[in-house]
Amino acid sequence: MTFPPSAATAPQGAVRDASTITLSGLRKRFGGDAVALDGVDLTIRAGEFFTLLGPSGCGKTTLLRILAGLEAPDDGTLTIGGRDVTTTAPHLRSVNTVFQSYALFPHLSVRENIAFGLRMKGVPVDERRRRVDHIAEFIKLGALLDRGVNQLSGGQRQRVALARALVCEPDVLLLDEPLSALDAGLRTQLQVELQRTQKRLGMTFVFVTHDQDEAMVMSDRIAVLDNGVIQQVGAPHEVYERPVNAFVAKFMGHVNLFAIEQLDHTRVVTALGTLTMDKPLEENARAGMLLIRQEVIELGHAVSEGYNGLEGVVKERHYRGSRIEYRLEVNGVTLMATAGNLGQRLYAVGDTVTVSIHPEDVVGLDA
Amino acid sequence: MKRTPFTRGLSVFWWLMIAFLYLPLGVIVLYSFNSANSAAFFAGFSLRWYERLLGNDQLLTALGNTLALGVASSVIALVIGTLIGYGMYRHRGRKLGWLVALIYLPIVMPDIVFGISEMAFFITMDREFGILGPSLATMIIAHVTFQIPFVALIVYSRFVGLDPTLFEAAKDLYASPAQRARHFLLPTLKPSLIAAFFLAFTLSIDDFVISFFTAGPENATLPIYIWGAIRRGVSPEINAIATLMILTVAIAAVISLLFNKEGRRS
Repeated sequence: MTFPPSAATAPQGAVRDASTITLSGLRKRFGGDAVALDGVDLTIRAGEFFTLLGPSGCGKTTLLRILAGLEAPDDGTLTIGGRDVTTTAPHLRSVNTVFQSYALFPHLSVRENIAFGLRMKGVPVDERRRRVDHIAEFIKLGALLDRGVNQLSGGQRQRVALARALVCEPDVLLLDEPLSALDAGLRTQLQVELQRTQKRLGMTFVFVTHDQDEAMVMSDRIAVLDNGVIQQVGAPHEVYERPVNAFVAKFMGHVNLFAIEQLDHTRVVTALGTLTMDKPLEENARAGMLLIRQEVIELGHAVSEGYNGLEGVVKERHYRGSRIEYRLEVNGVTLMATAGNLGQRLYAVGDTVTVSIHPEDVVGLDA
Repeated sequence: MKRTPFTRGLSVFWWLMIAFLYLPLGVIVLYSFNSANSAAFFAGFSLRWYERLLGNDQLLTALGNTLALGVASSVIALVIGTLIGYGMYRHRGRKLGWLVALIYLPIVMPDIVFGISEMAFFITMDREFGILGPSLATMIIAHVTFQIPFVALIVYSRFVGLDPTLFEAAKDLYASPAQRARHFLLPTLKPSLIAAFFLAFTLSIDDFVISFFTAGPENATLPIYIWGAIRRGVSPEINAIATLMILTVAIAAVISLLFNKEGRRS
């Protein structure tokens, strides 16, 4: 490579030092009573793929817009790379956004769209051309550069929007549900591409989505938001396997949640029956519920050694191809179990089965 | 598709309507080429009335006035109307919306009321302060006031048709307010601005009533000249002027239409 070093040519995994983001006490209110953000404290590490996850109206988009400078917080501070940018205008921040609608300029060609940010920053024509060519190659857009943006497909537009933001080499790249308008296959492909791009550039990515699968596939860490409050921050496996409360558990797709009726050291009593946990629940002082993930439940004819054993009846069976979902009734309570389709005999509706749950998989959480 | 008496009736109605619209215009165009000085029979093709127009100083002055008025008022209306259209877009859905509705008033106001009130206003200003006496300037002001809402409306509808995140994307990509105007707003608006200019120009050329009430003695426009000439009897010369006006307005209107379409398509 002959041109000057840029983020795109930096060594793999290089972490730029100017991109740690800290949010403290961020509050935002719209109109009279709608609270969008209610005191958000968060540190997003340099070079991290960070996802803001939550249902619509949880405040994730507002948070992203505050990072971009398109919205001003009512209260709190935002620093990027150690610099307080709470009140800095968007065009003066080293932050670029890939918008949900892509927001490509209809009066400009693909090349002109990608070059827009560089042009506004006053980058000379020669360097502009070089950097656009480089990013186009990197994102595999070469053949499209001279087209009008109206001639592009959804996936191509998404790539152009990404290239337009990346070519500016911002400290932070923001992505506002950039894949939600695409069909499932393309989406899966672009999820992987995005993640790979982020790792190669070592840039801090902040990604917004309402899709927990997408969040888990792509992210280093996830913040789950609800009602303008961060519910949990952690790596995908932490948020999925150890949700801190019922909201996070349900949002991550869990259905087997049971209120704790009695608690005695590692023994808990719920409507499901009496279960043993691997460590006492007292460590988690606020616990009021148990979570048993569908896929950790083992069905069979005998309880496995060292497991909690229950007995259930198959009420419904949903065939999903690679896996089977059973709706079981255990002590009059519904329990969902997922089993891999390993080619063994499937249980039929009406069968009585034993339910084995390892103590480690009995998770206590906040109601 | 089978043609029922009803659909046949509809197509007859359509052609009747077209005839009422265009036959009178066609007659004027035809007789402007009449070699005889008659509005009753067509004696043969001739350009003599057009030649005679070129020698008519009064008429050429009126033509000059019309063009000066049309261009000056359209340019001013374009600038003000664009700013208002942008303002309407920025403040859409806010509590000040009703204020914006005020600019529609000139569209629905009868021309004669508008013309008389403008005249009364200018005369008062002239008497009290010695400014705004009837002149080309007062005509321009009057024309600008009725052109503005049309320009504002075209600009506004262009903005409403845009993805609102484009404005944010421009900010996000380091464009300062001035750069946003130059590199995003103006290029995006360009087709609509051309359309608005030609619509405003057409409206100005078309106008008789408001010009009539606000013109000074020296400032007769083509319509005013025609009005005066017609009182001395319809001559084939008038047909020739009318034909040229039809042509000019038609061209301006088509340009306006094409650009407005292009502006909304992208």
